[in-house]
Amino acid sequence: MKDREIDEFVARAVKDAPAVSPALLKRISASIQPSMRPVRPMPPAWLFTTSLVSIAVAVAVAGAARAGLYGVERLTAFERVLIFPALILLLWAAATEFAASMIPGSRRRGRPAVLAAFTSLALMGVFLAVFRDYHATHFVSTGIVCLVAGLAHAIPVALFSWLLLRRGFAVDLVAAGAIAGTLAGLAGIAMLELHCPNFQVLHVLIWHTAVIPVSAAAGALTAWASR
Amino acid sequence: MAPDGNLEILMAAYQGGDFGAATALIEQLSPKLHRFFVGQGASREDADDILQETWLLLHKVRHTYRTGAPVMPWFYGIARHVRVNQYRKTNRVALHEERVETPSELPAPAAETPGATDAIAELLAPLPESQREVIVMLKVAGMSLEEVARATSSTVGSVKQKAHRGYERLRERLTAMGLAQGRRGGLS
Repeated sequence: MKDREIDEFVARAVKDAPAVSPALLKRISASIQPSMRPVRPMPPAWLFTTSLVSIAVAVAVAGAARAGLYGVERLTAFERVLIFPALILLLWAAATEFAASMIPGSRRRGRPAVLAAFTSLALMGVFLAVFRDYHATHFVSTGIVCLVAGLAHAIPVALFSWLLLRRGFAVDLVAAGAIAGTLAGLAGIAMLELHCPNFQVLHVLIWHTAVIPVSAAAGALTAWASR
Repeated sequence: MAPDGNLEILMAAYQGGDFGAATALIEQLSPKLHRFFVGQGASREDADDILQETWLLLHKVRHTYRTGAPVMPWFYGIARHVRVNQYRKTNRVALHEERVETPSELPAPAAETPGATDAIAELLAPLPESQREVIVMLKVAGMSLEEVARATSSTVGSVKQKAHRGYERLRERLTAMGLAQGRRGGLS
């Protein structure tokens, strides 16, 4: 049997479908009539994206400035050029995806889990290319401090994303939560790169990058619970 | 079928507070949305309810439509959201009922009662939900692969794969039906 023949079967089945009752259509029209008034359409997506990236950068810079910009001071110009533009690009990608999740029927580039995995792996690649210290001094104790600091700076960005989300409508709240978490996690990592002077490869690879999956999972869970 | 450009103009007028445009949209799109719900296995009564709920939500979030964006993915994205919520609600109620009554006393779902389903629902019944919705959007609503991808928050590749697998299953089913009916003297 060819596809065309299957199409004909489907078309025949659709033709046989009973019509929607005119009374139902009238009832629907009547139900929306009392609240009929002009609405202001959503601002363009780039405005949301720019706001989100700006807030994430502002939170990261403010947090690092308060805690001390020890990390960025120790980085060489080459290392800065590799790390920070990569972070901005990934932030932009996550913000674009989040802005799309607020509008029903927007074009999507992949699943939220793929976004979180891709950003984590991309940053791991950058860190592997930049750092060369393979020691693991006080691996857990210093690591947990960094993870907590990164997550603490992710929270304001996640809250701001959540406020923006209320302006739109997420058809998949859990996915939107995961994307917001990824975006917020990136802000947390940006803060750590500006602040943390520990350049041991394992420390940066594990504890700094862990902010993204933890934050994305927290975002998805929060959204799932509030659904 | 209304051209998408016409729907875009109606949608902009609807956002501007034009009740006539809202009524025109309801009349043009409701039959398609209703078929979408029925194609997903909802009974006629359930489809009527979901359609009403969908329009209430569409009305509430009409500001999220962006002028110039494709209209159909926006409508179907929201319709799909309402249907999924309804499905979850039904499941929760069914779970509660199971706790109260013995399973054997539960009536069969309306969509499975012979004669209560529509032809499109019967035809697509053996397909998994994700394949069914893709086929209904592509073949019943006449949406493009890109539009279906937008409505289902997925990628064109994923839509193509689901449509292909759905067609494979339909082919198997229709071939089996054709063979069975052929022995009785004809397919149609």
